This record gives sequence, C-alpha cells and structure tokens, in this order.
Amino acid sequence: MRKYLFIYKSEIMSNLQYIGNILFGFIFYFLLLFVFFHLWDYIYSDPEELIHGYNMSQTIWHVIITEILWSSVGGNKLCQKIINDVRGGNIAYNLNKPYDYIGYSLSSHLGIATIKLILYIILGFTLGFVFLKDVPIHTLFHLLIVLFSCILAIVISCLLIIMIGLFSFIIEDSTPFYWLYSKAILILGTLFPIEFFPSVMQPILTSSPVYAVASGPAKLFVDFSWNGCVEVLFIQLFYVGICYILCKLVYQKGVKKLNVNGG
Amino acid sequence: MAVIEVKNLSKIFTIKEKKQGFKGSIQSIFHPKYRKVKSVKKVNFSVDKGEIVAFIGPNGAGKSTTIKMMTGILFPTEGDINILGLDPKKHRKKLTYEIGTVFGQKEQLWTHLTPYDNFKFFGAIYDIPNFVVEKKIKEFEEIFELKDFINTPVRNLSLGQRIRCEIVASLIHEPKVLFLDEPTIGLDPVVKENVRSLIKRMNKEYKTTIFLTSHDVSDIEKLCKRVIIINSGQVVLDDSMENLKYYYLNKKIVEAKMKEKVSLEDEEGITILKDKEYNIKIEVDTEKRTVADALKLLNPDNIIDINISNIPLEDIISSIYKKEDQS
Amino acid sequence: MLTAVKNQVRVTLLTTKYALMKEMLNKTTFLMNIVFMILNNACFIIQWIILYSIRDGIGGYHFQQVLLLWGIAASTFGFSRCFFYKAFNLSEVIQNGKLDSFLIQPKNVLLSVTTSEISPSAIGDLIYGYIMLGISGFSISKFFLFTLFTVSGGFILVSVTVILSSLSFWFQKADMISEVGDSLLTSFATYPEGIFQGTMKILFYTIIPIGFINYLPIRILSEFHLGYTALILLIMCFFVSFAFIIFYRGLKRYSSSNLMISKI
Repeated sequence: MRKYLFIYKSEIMSNLQYIGNILFGFIFYFLLLFVFFHLWDYIYSDPEELIHGYNMSQTIWHVIITEILWSSVGGNKLCQKIINDVRGGNIAYNLNKPYDYIGYSLSSHLGIATIKLILYIILGFTLGFVFLKDVPIHTLFHLLIVLFSCILAIVISCLLIIMIGLFSFIIEDSTPFYWLYSKAILILGTLFPIEFFPSVMQPILTSSPVYAVASGPAKLFVDFSWNGCVEVLFIQLFYVGICYILCKLVYQKGVKKLNVNGG
Repeated sequence: MAVIEVKNLSKIFTIKEKKQGFKGSIQSIFHPKYRKVKSVKKVNFSVDKGEIVAFIGPNGAGKSTTIKMMTGILFPTEGDINILGLDPKKHRKKLTYEIGTVFGQKEQLWTHLTPYDNFKFFGAIYDIPNFVVEKKIKEFEEIFELKDFINTPVRNLSLGQRIRCEIVASLIHEPKVLFLDEPTIGLDPVVKENVRSLIKRMNKEYKTTIFLTSHDVSDIEKLCKRVIIINSGQVVLDDSMENLKYYYLNKKIVEAKMKEKVSLEDEEGITILKDKEYNIKIEVDTEKRTVADALKLLNPDNIIDINISNIPLEDIISSIYKKEDQS
Repeated sequence: MLTAVKNQVRVTLLTTKYALMKEMLNKTTFLMNIVFMILNNACFIIQWIILYSIRDGIGGYHFQQVLLLWGIAASTFGFSRCFFYKAFNLSEVIQNGKLDSFLIQPKNVLLSVTTSEISPSAIGDLIYGYIMLGISGFSISKFFLFTLFTVSGGFILVSVTVILSSLSFWFQKADMISEVGDSLLTSFATYPEGIFQGTMKILFYTIIPIGFINYLPIRILSEFHLGYTALILLIMCFFVSFAFIIFYRGLKRYSSSNLMISKI
C-alpha cells in the first residue's frame, strides 16, 4: 500500500506547477454553469416552484456538484494515457515491475484529480453563492459525508475510464467508447437529477454506474437524507469492487494476447 | 552571371526574457524584458549560374536563418536579397516557381502516398499540366534510378530512398536554383554517396545552381568548388575550394616509424606532435622549411615506414571557426 | 488571375483528397470515428426531450427548431473541422515553426496549412447536421439554405480561430486565447437564443458571432428573409478577409524554428 501512497504523493507534487492549466479549465466550467443558470432561470417561472421535487437552486446545485466531479476526473487525459500505454507497448515494460498496473495508473491519476477537486470545489461554491445565494446543505457532518461520496465517485470514474482505455487491447483505438461513456455521464448523470427522467428509467439509472459517479453524490448534496446516504454509499462501494475486478480481468486478458502476439 | 545576390543582409530576433520561478513569470507579464539576438549581421555574397556552393558554419552561426530568408520563409530585418531578379520579401510566390528547397530534417512528402502520387501532387502545386508531369516522372525515373520503389508508399521506403524522393520532388518544376539544407543528415555512407551523385548529376544535366549547407566535410569536398564560411552571423571566408586548400594546406604532417630512437626538438618551421619510442609525428610549415629538410633531420637510412599527409579539411575548417571565435 | 484561382482550387481539393485518404488508411477506425460522433451528438436529444417535457417553447423555440439548431451547430462545426482541421492547431504550427514547408510552395500559405489535415469525427458532425435537418422537416429550399449557412457559419468559425491563433506571431500564450474563443463559440451554440438576455445578445452579434453562425440562420430557415441572408454573407466576408489580413500581417514576424534553436 505504501508504494501507491508514494506514487500518489509524488504525482501531487509534480502537478502543482500545472495549477495554471487547471485555472485555465475554470473558464470552461464557468461557461457551462453560466449557460445552465440562464436555461433554468428561463424554465423556472418562480425560483421556489418545484419541478420533479426540486426547486431552482437545488437543480442548479446538482449541476455544480456533478460538473465538479466530472472536471476533477479529467478523463480524456487518463483514457489517452492508457490507450497510448497499450498501443505504444509501455504496458509490456510495466509487466516486470513490482506493482500492479491498475493500481499504478489509478493512484497516479488520483494525484492530479485531488488538486483539481480542491480547486473546483472552491470555484463551484463561489459560483453557486454568486448565482444562487444559498447552499442546500447545512451541517458540516453531512458535508463531510458528501465529500467522501465524491471521492468514491472519482475513484469509480477513473477505474471505468482505465477499463475503457484497456479495451484498446481488443480494438485498435477505444477513444470512441470514451466519448460514449462521457456522453452517458453527461446526459444521464450530470445535467439533471434522476427524478427528471421517466419513471421507468429511474430504477435502471439508480443501479447504473452513472448514479455512482455523478448523480448519487449530487443528490446527497442537494437533498440530504440518511436513507439516501446509505443507498448511495452502498452502491458506490459495490462499484469500486466490481470495476476493479473487471479492470483486472480485461488487463489479464489483454496481457495474454500481448504475450501471444509478442507485443 | 549572378543568380543569387545578397547585400548587407541582417536578421534580428527579439526574445522575451523570463526570470526563473513563479515570481519571474509574474514579472514577465507586467514588465516584459526583451533581448535582441543578431542572428545574421550584414552578410554579402553572390553566386553565379551553375555553381555548387557550400554554405557552412558551426551550429547557430546563422546558416539556416540566411537560407530561410533567401527562400522567403523568414523576413529579413535589413538588407537586400535578389534571386533570379526577384526579391523573396516581395515576390515569395513568384520565386517559389523558380527555386527548389530541400530541408534534410523536414519532410514535404505525404507518407501514405507513393512517390509517383507525390510527384503528381507537386506537379499540381506548381501548375504543371498533367502530361508534362508524366513525362518528367519518366525522365527522373531513368536518371535518378527510382524504378524499384516509385510505386511503394513513402512510409515503407528506407531513409535513403525517401531523401532521394524528397530531392527529386523538389525538381519537378525544374528550379533554376536549388537550396539544400543538410541533405545528407542521418544517412549512412553508401546512401550519402548516392545522394551526392544525384546532386552532381542534377547540376550537370540541368545546369541547376546549387546552394548547400552541410556539417559533413566530405559532402563539401566532393561536391563543391566554392565555400562560404559563416560564423556568428558573419561571412568569414568566401573562396574557391582550391584556394582554401592551397592557403591552409601549407602544413604537412610527417609520420615515421624508425629503426632506432631519434631525439628531436622544435625548431623554426618544425613542430613535434608526437615522439614515442620508435614512432614520431611532426608538423612541417612548408612556408619556412621544406619537407626534404624534415626528412634529413630524421635520417632517411633509419626510416622503416613513412607517411606524409595533408591536414584534413575538417581540421582546417574547425581551425577557421576557432580563429574567428577568438578574434 | 482566373487560372491562378482555378489552380489554387485544384490544389486545395487535391490536398483535401489526400488528407482524407490518409485518414482512411485504417478503415475501421475511420468509420468508428464517424459513427460514434453521430451517436455522441444524438445523445443530446434526450436532454431536450426532458427539458421540453417540463416546459414547451424554451427560449421561444419549438422542439423542431431546437433540433434544427443542433443541426446547424453540428454542421458548421463539422464543416470547419473537416476541411480546415489544421486551423484549430494553427497556434502550435506557428509557435513550433512548422510553416516552412508551406512557405516554399507557390500557393496561398493560409489555405495550404489549414487544409492539410482533416478530422474524421468532424465528418460525423457534418452528417449529423443533415440528419437533424431531415428530422426537423426537409425541403429542397431548406436544404440549399442549410448548406449555405453551413458553409458561411463554418467559414466564420475558421476565421475566428485563425484570427485568434495568428496572435501567436506576437504573443506566446495565444493558443490559450484561441482555445477560449473556440469554446465560447461552441458552448452557446446549442442553446436557444431566447434564454439569454441583454448584454449577451449584443455579444452574440459582435465579438462572439454565433448569432450569425446559428441563431440568424434558424430564423431564416423558419421564415425566409433576404436581408438577413445577405447580412450573414457580408459578415462572413468580413471575418474571412480579416483572418487573411491578420495572418499575413503576422507572417512577417514568423520566426520559423530558429528561435527555438537559439534558446537551447
């Protein structure tokens, strides 16, 4: 475990200098939120009106949180790195090193994600205050639970993206799968709370990874309940396990193929 | 008749300076400091039709900058360039029809296409009618021996075949002047020889004027009749190859293997370079002493084996570079 | 003059053809890129179905018009990235001194550079645009107008990025400016004009010209207006000429890769 901690730590240090680039990413976050504020401002005739049980502030805070999660992951970079490792043969070099490739990729990427998470939380909350002037969560303890849930969401998201990257063992370039993944998260998890979808879809969405990586933590934030909390955390822990096992399987399959074909 | 004329050519680059660290970055935003780098300083020369000229100098001497200004890639800060009656600054497009350019390290060819398709593409770029291009390709195929690989995609060619195609592609529009920037860089000796003979043939068959930069002295020795040496942005030598050798080859190296040990000391015109047991190496300044004098000193009866040679051109050139740096 | 234009067009088309052939070397990847981009765009229909189930006529648009808005946004984006892909990397090309090989050719430098690469996924965007046109109500006249606006909007997008990227001739971090510019033009493009008010509207018809790329064409496609159409074409000419002027101004300051060498 200590070596993963070390990888994680050194990644944080080396990425501190990229803070400038992260700040640059703020512009895109701001633009999206700006558009959404206007969109919901138009759709809600009165901010206290309830649409599917959410008032305007809650709906927008939902986007703020899910976008923080998505921006912190920076999936495109991770996915490209894995694909390059697979296609460029870097993975073959990693085979004889005393660590697990999945663990290595995950911990090294979480280093960047941590910095981003902190910065995006600051930005998101500032924008939330400016646009909405209130926060739907009231106790620090609840906030800490949501934060924990957010970290789990980022871990799951990273694992899923690593898995998509590893698909490059099977098809030459798995980038298109990443697009679909990112769109699924965006459309099904980021833009609206689950309750906005037709009731038939809701149970499916709740049990899908979309809930674990995006709308689950956001829902806890905008409408905290102990029932919801147990549900979200349970689903998330379940997905952490499942995703890690699946990654391992795909990796082992891929490496076998690599050995047969000689890289 | 001069086809290239360069007068008082200068190029100054402005570089933004940044102090180290975060503080430096902030400072450079609000109080940017600029440093001017004179890359080329008042360069003058001219080249006649049909010449092969070597344009050489150490790294960062201003070779590429000069060649880029002559081909219209860079804007000169000062001075005039006249190539075939055209000013690259004003008539870039017109000039490109008249000149060809090959940069050894940069590729102009589409790698997924065959040389044949590439040549056709270049034909289209230079507005050459299709049937003329076809004829030209046939001709090149013969002269430059491209038959074996003219229909193989460029990415599958060897480096040598590729650079040959690069050069031939730049000839499609029959340029009157050809600029070659390091054409043999990274090639093995056999391929180098191949490229050199191609350049020679081109000069002979089409009377193309060739302006060439290279770090490879044998390129220069084997191809060029004239050398222009540039160092820290200034022309330090512009002379024929013969003169260069004549003036700078006034020193001979005598290496001998002796039967018994001789003890010699430096004297006027003779420098001992190496004296180890039975082997001796001396340098003779032929302006002061003759080689025969040196042999007498050694006592000819005592010599088992002897080798008298010129100083290699490479040493001559680097001594010119060094001399300039000191002054 | 006319033959020069003819030759330029011939070379540009040939360049595009060869760039396309390069992308098609691996057919599976090529097709996947296109198909997945179409699917990718199609996902957003869900967003609008949900929004329209809450309230009708968002920002003054019917659902059909939102589809058409998506169509024109995708087709202009696709057109610009498909045929002028390198324009969106122009900053990098300028900064790393990669213009040399285009400068020694007797053709227009800006056109040669920008058309030297194509993006397969952009073909997907372009196709998606026309699919949306089909769904939202197809007619021959609409088809022609849609194509006209795809070309005009595409040219404006390319011009804006060329203008901003050309700043790289003067400043080092200009690539960031052009990136922000590109994202400003795409972020608003798929949302109805009516949800924004006041200042934003002024911006859309000035420095963030998506009014001319997306919103005005939607109005004209709903109800034809000759004056607006002419205005769009005029604006396009303005942006294109401005792009050429700025680029060629900057080209005089081009430093090739020589500066990088002297930095080491």
